Amino acid sequence: MSTTEDSKKTAKPKAPRKKAAAARKTTARRKSTARKKAPEKPLSVLIVGAGFAGLGMAIRLKQAGIEDFIILERGNAVGGTWRDNQYPGAACDIPSNLYSYSFAPNPNWSRSFSGSEEILDYVHHLVAEFGLEKHIRFEQNVAELRFDETKGIWTATTDKDVVFTGRAAVMAQGPLANCSFPAITGIEDFKGKKIHSARWDHDYDFSGKNVAVVGTGASGIQIIPELVKVAKHVKVFQRTPGWVMPRPDFSTPEWNKLLFRKVPASQQAMRELLYWSHESMALAVIWNSPLTRIAERIGKWHLRRQVKDRWLRRQLTPDFTIGCKRVLVSNDYYPALQKDNAKLITWPIARISEEGIRTVEGIEHQVDCIVFATGFDVSHSGTPFPVLGRGGRVMGDDWKGGAQAYKSINVSGYPNLFLTFGPNSGPGHNSALVYMESQLEYALKGIRKIVGEDLKMLDVREDAQQRFNKSIQKRLAKTNWNSGCKSWYLTEDGFNATMYPGFATQYATQMSEFKEEDYQTA
Amino acid sequence: MASIDLDKMLAKIKSTQWALSDIDWDAPGAELITEEQWPKLKEFMADLMWIEHVGARAFAALAKKAPTDTLREIYSYFHAEEQRHANAEMALMRRWGMLEGDEIPEPNVNLRIIIEWLDRFADEMPVYVLGTVVPMLEIALDGALCTFLLETVKDPVCHQAFEKINDDESRHLGVGFTVMEMQGRSASYIKMVQMMARVMDPRLILGIASYMPLLNKMRDNVIAMGLPEEKLYKAMQKFERIGGRTEEGRRNPWFQLIKQHGRWVTNRSNKVYHVPVDALVKITGMVPRKALPAVPSWVKELTYEPTATR
Ligand SMILES: Cc1cc2nc3c(=O)[nH]c(=O)nc-3n(C[C@H](O)[C@H](O)[C@H](O)COP(=O)(O)OP(=O)(O)OC[C@H]3O[C@@H](n4cnc5c(N)ncnc54)[C@H](O)[C@@H]3O)c2cc1C
Ligand SMILES: [Fe+2]
Ligand SMILES: [Fe+2]
Repeated sequence: MSTTEDSKKTAKPKAPRKKAAAARKTTARRKSTARKKAPEKPLSVLIVGAGFAGLGMAIRLKQAGIEDFIILERGNAVGGTWRDNQYPGAACDIPSNLYSYSFAPNPNWSRSFSGSEEILDYVHHLVAEFGLEKHIRFEQNVAELRFDETKGIWTATTDKDVVFTGRAAVMAQGPLANCSFPAITGIEDFKGKKIHSARWDHDYDFSGKNVAVVGTGASGIQIIPELVKVAKHVKVFQRTPGWVMPRPDFSTPEWNKLLFRKVPASQQAMRELLYWSHESMALAVIWNSPLTRIAERIGKWHLRRQVKDRWLRRQLTPDFTIGCKRVLVSNDYYPALQKDNAKLITWPIARISEEGIRTVEGIEHQVDCIVFATGFDVSHSGTPFPVLGRGGRVMGDDWKGGAQAYKSINVSGYPNLFLTFGPNSGPGHNSALVYMESQLEYALKGIRKIVGEDLKMLDVREDAQQRFNKSIQKRLAKTNWNSGCKSWYLTEDGFNATMYPGFATQYATQMSEFKEEDYQTA
Repeated sequence: MASIDLDKMLAKIKSTQWALSDIDWDAPGAELITEEQWPKLKEFMADLMWIEHVGARAFAALAKKAPTDTLREIYSYFHAEEQRHANAEMALMRRWGMLEGDEIPEPNVNLRIIIEWLDRFADEMPVYVLGTVVPMLEIALDGALCTFLLETVKDPVCHQAFEKINDDESRHLGVGFTVMEMQGRSASYIKMVQMMARVMDPRLILGIASYMPLLNKMRDNVIAMGLPEEKLYKAMQKFERIGGRTEEGRRNPWFQLIKQHGRWVTNRSNKVYHVPVDALVKITGMVPRKALPAVPSWVKELTYEPTATR
């Protein structure tokens, strides 16, 4: 994953053409209410982002009887990650039954691991089912969040200077929502087609084309098998190989769907089973334990079984502890690399030229199209847009040495503000939505307090935040993420502001308790 | 000479890359190769190109083993750069009409044995072994041979290519000697004992056994082409001089070992060494090609084409 923190030329995502029909289901597209002046009475809650996090927050607010909130979304459709990542083969790595909200189950998952279209359909289903359209303001790209201490109000200003106000604000702009082309020398010289995996061009026809794919992370290994099916030739440029585990994917039999529909408890049971099997993976992935060795053995077995050539196997063998970077899951990636029209290239890239990619062994690999599966712009020490708190303090400045929060969700000095996927909330082994649910519950508690007790300010105490971080960094030091490999989880200095060092269950426990004494109110 | 800053070196390496297409392989000058030179030059180039390729594979092993991220990345660049040298040398051979069709030149049997050894054991060798052997080979074979080549061959394109190759090589050597010094500095008594124990490792003995005839075979090749033997030996003495320029470098037992070996090679009157090794060269020369295992697939990545669409 790229971590170009300064690249702010983030492309505004649009609904992919293919999805236009689906997007239309959400009738509230393009309801952009342009008001230059903030209305007199602020809303209860401002939510930034209409992905799983923002929409989940909206649902929980509605379920709690809070209706005066809006969601500001820069795109023209809902879905976030799953609206943007529509590349061929896009799918989730977590079983669908776990990658969904328990407060809005979907009995109809067609496969144990769903593709991105199906996940997007689920998102649209959420919007329709809970009547969220009227709350969403599309094409509102938030450029600043600012807290007014005297009034106890958050103001969101968009890049077109439209202003919205709310008593509480929820940042749900997504951990992996921004992407840009990597800073490879000569990239602007390339005369062919350039596509970023997270901004797929569905109009581009790959048949008969020579294609390069740069990057072999989570997106790359999903795209490659699909491209190999249609393109004339696919060259895969790899920097470091990741751990690839076999994926037990199968389609859900009809009787099973029926069972889930008729006996919802059976789906809940399935969810629990999946939850606990993923929890047990934490033992292998998060800490260096005997299970880590076993997981590595499974990875190596998978490689040996699918790749017979010794050199290719060497090229694909990871040289870091499993779990240090994101664990990949695929059954068709290794076979795809060995197709006649595919080739793995492990020479370092020297530069991009007009006609292709030059690697250090001196050869120019000429292609018609370069697909960049190079990940996202992840910021460990900044915020995607300026966030100003009490006394005009800037969150990005407070985070210079690495992002810090209290229980991942509140930051001292920024009252009434709730982060989703905040510092150290990252799931390494379990569904992001499982983690998300506990964050939403926590935010709901805080928001209810603010609204119910008519508080101007609910601010976490500085010392409480420090105590929390001391203990979490101590725990992180013992994890695989901090075991020496470079990954997007870490800052350049190796500070881990991303991951949660424990089981999802521990995280849920952490989030279930709202300690009033850790807060200052006014 | 103080050790170099490896981070700066890596940045330098990244910013000074070249590609085969930077050279016009069809420019005039190929006719400057004399008819008399041609057959010997062909054999020489084939060996040289294989040595580059073998060096590449050794760097690949180092790239997995090196103790720091920076060094690992440097070695992965060097791996590719040696491959680039092999590719460029093949492009020269093609220019001179020395390749038949798309054929990669046949490696000689000594090289085949080294390739086999590298393929099986290189990744298991401790970093300090390869880290010492590689600079030695680089100076002796690469360095000396290239200088000689430029003195014999008048073709300007050859000079253009080797100017670039030699720039790369000077960096390889800079890093190589810095690493040897780093190792000497940390080599405690226990480490040294461990290192020496390694010499007894049968895999290493195999490696040395294939490396020694290679040096002698190259010596024969070079002499066949009219290079005064002394030039090769001078180059090897350079290894001793640079590698032993600091206390740390001298303390690296691998430096001592390889240096000693270099001395044997360069001393023709040392019958104890040369009689059996020359015999080995003869014997390996008689090994039928069919008896050798299939070449590993990393060998098939060689190409003389500056651009590739497949
Ligand atoms: C290819 C891919 C595969 C993944 N697979 C899995 C998986 O298998 N399992 C798993 O648990 N997680 C997975 N994830 C992680 C995934 O990102 C999360 O699970 C989840 O979808 C994030 O939801 P979100 O709402 O927080 O963010 P997003 O879905 O990114 O939504 C954020 C929304 O905010 C909007 N926005 C951003 N900035 C602004 C702004 N300034 N103003 C207004 N709106 C803004 C964006 O347009 C977007 O719509 C995957 C991610 C990717 C990219
Ligand atoms: Fe070389
Ligand atoms: Fe070299």
